Amino acid sequence: MALEDYRGDMEMCCRCSCCKFIPMQMVQGAEYSYACPSIAKYNFHAYSAGGRLNIAASMLKKGFNYSDKILDIVKNCQMCGACGVSCNYAMDMEVLEPIQEFRIKTVEDGHTVPALEKVITSLGNQGSMVPVTGKRGDWASGLNLKDATSKKVNVLYHVGCLTSYDKNMQKLAKATVNILQKAGVNFGITGDAEMCCGGRAYQMGYKEDFLNQAKKNMAMIKKAGIKTLVASCSNCYQAFKVLYDKYNLRGDLEVLHITEYIARSLNEETLKPSKKVALTVTYHDPCRLGRLGEPWIHWEGKKIPGDRFVFDPPKIYRRGTHGVYEPPREVLNSISGIKLMEMTRIKEYAWCCGAGGGVNESNPEFAMWTANERIREAVSTGAEAIVTACPWCEKTFNEAIQKNESSLKVYDIVELVEKAI
Amino acid sequence: MALSKEVYKEFEDVVGEENICDDPAIMPAYFATEFAAVILPKDTAKVQAIVKLCNKHKLKFRAISTGWTGVFPKNTILLDLRRMNRIIEINEKNMYAVVEPYVISAELQAELFKRGLNFCIKGAGSNCSAMLRGHGHLDQTTSADDRNHLAIEWVTPEGEIVRLGSLGSSDEWFCGDGPGPSLRAIISSAVPPGVTPGVFTKAAIKLYHWPGPSKLPVVGKSPRYTLREIPANMMARYYSFPSVEKMWQAELKIGESEIAYELMGFNASMVASNITTCNEEEEEVFRRISQEVQGPGFFVIIAGNSPEDFAYKKKVLEKIVSDADGKSLKSVEDPEIEGILLCQCVRISASIRETFRAGGAFNSIPIMGQRDLTIKWAIGAGEAKKPLIKKGLIVDDGGAFFGWGVEQGHLGKTEIFCRFDPLNPEAKKAVEEWRKEQCARAVNERYFADLLMAKIDESGPSLSNYHLWWRKIVKELDPNSVSPEGGPLV
Amino acid sequence: MIAHEKLSDIVGAANVSCERTTLDEYSRDMSFVNTVRPACVVKPRNAADIKQLVKLANEILTPLVPVSSGSPHFRGDTVPSIGGAVIVDLSKMKRIIKVDRPRRVAIVEPGVTFGELIPTAEKEGLRLNMPLLPRKSKAVIGSLLEREPVIMPKYQWDISDPLACLEVIFGTGDEFRTGQAAGPGTVEEQWAVGGVQKAPYGPGIASWHRLIQGAQGTMGIVTWASMRCEILPSLEEPFVVGSSNPNTLLELAYWLIRLRMVNECFILNNTNLAAIFAKKWPDDYQDIKAALPAWTLFYTAAGYEYFPEERVSAYVKNISDITQRLGVEAAKAVGGVSANEILKAVQRPSEEPYWKLRYKGGCEDIFFLTINDKLGVLIEAMNDLAIKFGYPVIDMGVYIQPIVQGTGCHCEFNLFYDPGNPGELNRVRKLSISAVKALMAKGAFFSRPYGESARMILNRDAATVAVLKKFKKIFDPNNVMNPGKVCF
Ligand SMILES: Cc1cc2nc3c(=O)[nH]c(=O)nc-3n(C[C@H](O)[C@H](O)[C@H](O)COP(=O)(O)OP(=O)(O)OC[C@H]3O[C@@H](n4cnc5c(N)ncnc54)[C@H](O)[C@@H]3O)c2cc1C
Ligand code: SF4
Ligand code: SF4
Repeated sequence: MALEDYRGDMEMCCRCSCCKFIPMQMVQGAEYSYACPSIAKYNFHAYSAGGRLNIAASMLKKGFNYSDKILDIVKNCQMCGACGVSCNYAMDMEVLEPIQEFRIKTVEDGHTVPALEKVITSLGNQGSMVPVTGKRGDWASGLNLKDATSKKVNVLYHVGCLTSYDKNMQKLAKATVNILQKAGVNFGITGDAEMCCGGRAYQMGYKEDFLNQAKKNMAMIKKAGIKTLVASCSNCYQAFKVLYDKYNLRGDLEVLHITEYIARSLNEETLKPSKKVALTVTYHDPCRLGRLGEPWIHWEGKKIPGDRFVFDPPKIYRRGTHGVYEPPREVLNSISGIKLMEMTRIKEYAWCCGAGGGVNESNPEFAMWTANERIREAVSTGAEAIVTACPWCEKTFNEAIQKNESSLKVYDIVELVEKAI
Repeated sequence: MALSKEVYKEFEDVVGEENICDDPAIMPAYFATEFAAVILPKDTAKVQAIVKLCNKHKLKFRAISTGWTGVFPKNTILLDLRRMNRIIEINEKNMYAVVEPYVISAELQAELFKRGLNFCIKGAGSNCSAMLRGHGHLDQTTSADDRNHLAIEWVTPEGEIVRLGSLGSSDEWFCGDGPGPSLRAIISSAVPPGVTPGVFTKAAIKLYHWPGPSKLPVVGKSPRYTLREIPANMMARYYSFPSVEKMWQAELKIGESEIAYELMGFNASMVASNITTCNEEEEEVFRRISQEVQGPGFFVIIAGNSPEDFAYKKKVLEKIVSDADGKSLKSVEDPEIEGILLCQCVRISASIRETFRAGGAFNSIPIMGQRDLTIKWAIGAGEAKKPLIKKGLIVDDGGAFFGWGVEQGHLGKTEIFCRFDPLNPEAKKAVEEWRKEQCARAVNERYFADLLMAKIDESGPSLSNYHLWWRKIVKELDPNSVSPEGGPLV
Repeated sequence: MIAHEKLSDIVGAANVSCERTTLDEYSRDMSFVNTVRPACVVKPRNAADIKQLVKLANEILTPLVPVSSGSPHFRGDTVPSIGGAVIVDLSKMKRIIKVDRPRRVAIVEPGVTFGELIPTAEKEGLRLNMPLLPRKSKAVIGSLLEREPVIMPKYQWDISDPLACLEVIFGTGDEFRTGQAAGPGTVEEQWAVGGVQKAPYGPGIASWHRLIQGAQGTMGIVTWASMRCEILPSLEEPFVVGSSNPNTLLELAYWLIRLRMVNECFILNNTNLAAIFAKKWPDDYQDIKAALPAWTLFYTAAGYEYFPEERVSAYVKNISDITQRLGVEAAKAVGGVSANEILKAVQRPSEEPYWKLRYKGGCEDIFFLTINDKLGVLIEAMNDLAIKFGYPVIDMGVYIQPIVQGTGCHCEFNLFYDPGNPGELNRVRKLSISAVKALMAKGAFFSRPYGESARMILNRDAATVAVLKKFKKIFDPNNVMNPGKVCF
């Protein structure tokens, strides 16, 4: 669907400002009440979801007169989807989708951001969203992992760009491998042949580049006969599970996040964390595992003429209800010695780490600001560590903590599981 | 008209370049108005400086808090007070809180709950500014309108800072009146369409005891939050009655006996909006509930300060309801639904479901004042909705109205609205006509005069010519005419 | 000199008096303001008379001084500040226009006193939220317009309560009705459809009555006002709690009000309580005073239509939890004064002679608003000053009235003195002026500035004064309405 297709939704915006905040019932005070990093940092209403929708709707009507300010607004959004959850508590309308389409349109119209252009160029040239050093599969050297393109495996572990290339993140791949092995899973990787999922390019508005990646990935997966894919990166997870589905590319590929896989293994008792890990933690729901990890709902229909904004067939909205919230918590709670302290903004209304939507690349300062807010919130729980389930969150938090000289530790959930098994 | 470079620079020097913008592209984010610029002041001093510049250059300005509503003349300088969002003080001992304009009600209420306190939240929702005057679900115990302000800090249209009452004389926030006549007479903070000229930068708000827990045990996922358990000292019910008269009898007695924490005269349609998560479900539940209720009704929350108090209130409630032949709506007795409503109607988080969700627009006639009188009028206004419902122009709510008691029934509010699709011109026109007719009837039959949509010149003559006095006041306060009036609700 | 006939033409010859003895009565009061003899006293019969009087005053630029209550007056606000004034004595406008039980409202003309309204209201099952023991001649409207504190803070939601709506003839001669009374239609037309004049706000976003309240007649003359009434309880259980520490009692009062458990609720020191209840002077007074604790909190728990005993007993139980926590005890009597006796007394105006005058014949009140936290310091400061000026602290009455549902309190020092004793009189006068100054410096808020201290009080808030002056220009451009008062 294109921006035009969301005209009705955008017209529904009543300017209530709910999209700036977490759902009203969940507001616990003057602190940690905001859901949208963009409005929280940039203050002008235009930076909120409601503002974005109204601007887009107006441009649809009056023409797309881009200005630096408009592009600044468009790029300074993590595409985290918190706005949609808060709005959809009360409203039946799409929020993140038109914001996404607006972004896509700016790119299609040639109004791009140099920093993101650079990333996308490198995606085209090198197949990665992060700077490439060495080969993609270098991290696995010596591990003797199966090559899923040539060997029959039950599970493909898709590692992702950041985890593959970033020296600090490769430990996550190793931990994941360790866990899968302990659980006795017949899995493989695609190593140097692995390709970027394209999800982050999509968030940046580069739909074509995303589709290109998606098609290539699915071709490979089909060819290899893979039925189940496990991702430890929430961006990859959401791309494979939700975005590929959105564009009818996923087929019947089962996509699981590593936390889901671990939770399943715990239930099936193929994995038993036996070692104690004495740590008070708080858990950060990555946007793309949590609310945006909610399955895509295919729908096509028409507004029923009349008094209400209703459709034939009825439209079911993705309101964040069915994101992946419990599995990571189950996993944490299964590790003895871990004490989980929840933050104010959790699950469907969790605050973003700051890295999404190209902000990490286009405006690192804003990404850091957003991460800092989360660190502050994490510290307020009394936790020693913030645990996440996405390398992008971990990276961003680490950078923020370094700059801040905070003593908070950052873990990916797989690191803790690895310690426990 | 964009500001000249020089003038823009003067404003920029006040707030810094990141806090001013005149790019026409961002304006639609606010309202369908071309503002000359949007400025984000951080504090009262900045507001004052901006207002002084506006006077110097004869530029019109207006402030917004969260900016839900309002109509603004073209080329206005908009002061978006988003950065003025501090809770300055919560004074438990003297039962007031001091806030800046962009503290939203949900934030303040959550802080207050921690201290066993609460305040009046506008029925619009806790997403609105906590500071602005208004009325809402909790009015039975938290009063309403302009009656909850104590001291107020106000920047006049000319840029003077006036600190009302005890604030001006002794730097305390507990009283907004005096010395001498009370400036609260006109400085009542803002509610559209009438807006006191100038800018409100802080206000002390009266606080009330909150008998509930320091944090409501909300569980579930959006859009279906409910309570893990109903607090032992609280109960929420919906009662319907065989007639409006019986309902009023019960409402009156509940007020007089001071037992209700909240009395919200929802109609069946609004109950359905509140407890459902989408339009389709709402339609279905409304149909079901309409069958279940015997007539008009209300939603009540009782809350005890002690087990004895709770038992007493419950007993009186049951007696009053039974004397008036009331019937409890079974659906609401289900603890899950009771929890949904209790939480929503205390935290005021679902009015958007009641108003905007269905069609995207609603047109309303709200009246504050004497509840029995306005109910009498509203029955007719409800009947007049029915032909529109029949034609499919507005959402079917059975021709209902709603309202609530204020200050244990001393005062009240009644409101009636039509929900429709704003993109359907026929519906829009029909609703506008309905509104006009019903407001005209209200004046002709001496019920009340509409102030929400009517031009001040239209309503003024039937209301002691207040508009002439108001104009004089505005002229005195705003000699340069830089602080334009509000307009009807958007 | 205004033409006598012109006034007679308006109000009728019988209602105009320029006799020296009459004029003398209005030329001074119990306060320390200068004696200024008015030119004339007129007693209008209705709003139409008043309207014409105001028009005339504007034509011939003559000051009008409205007076509702009968003498003795205490605050100097009804004494002209300049010569040549016409006193507009409203005591003849005595109609109780309406008492409406279901809507809990009463409407009265300015001449109606508490003593007159109470029985009428009671007949309908209603009661008034009263100031503490007003003098018998005190007009209800006078009290409402002065924002006098009331003894049931639970029912005072807003400081303007219990005033609801009013009709006023502005200084311009224009008639205006505030709140719900503004319209549409006449008051009678509103009644016909079932409307009463109760909602105080509006029209528009203004709350016009607030502008008339506290103005001391400087904006216009009120021709009638409505007030919210409360329901007459079916059961009342009064209590007293004595303590040597006013802060403990304040804290108790705070919780009683916060939890809305009590109706009447105020604190008096032993001097005042004795002054109110002494029957035989002076022995009785001294005995009672000696027997009383330094401070007494009085409160009533009440029940209405439904199961009143259960309500009262629940409150009594809950209150005892609080008193226990605070280490005080609720009792039915204190120092020989019974709670029932207090309750009965405070639901009526003062017996004659007025309680403030019984001890010495004169009384100067120093009153202000403050927050609970500051009260102790202010009382101490007042005591120090009294000592400095040689006024016996034990002779000073103190009345503490929580206001507006506990958002602050009215504190009143009553300095009893013998007006016939020039030394005493002078001492109290000097003390009074110094006290206002000193208390203000310590944060007391004098929201109702009267008499000699008014200027000093208003000088602290130039911004408010500037705005008030703008209003004054609109509503009384020729400054004919009680000139010299407040800041005008
Ligand atoms: C669906 C809906 C339901 C509503 N229901 C109710 C209800 O039940 N009860 C009720 O009382 N109201 C109701 N309203 C009106 C509501 O009170 C206002 O819309 C609400 O208070 C707006 O809050 P805000 O923070 O968005 O104010 P804004 O929209 O920011 O401001 C409202 C007006 O006040 C002016 N203003 C704002 N802040 C300042 C300031 N600091 N200084 C000077 N002027 C200022 C603005 O210019 C504007 O004209 C409803 C509105 C809607 C849309
Ligand atoms: S996007 Fe939704 S939540 Fe945000 S202002 Fe619009 S309607 Fe409200
Ligand atoms: S996606 Fe996230 S950053 Fe973007 S508008 Fe929505 S809440 Fe704000």
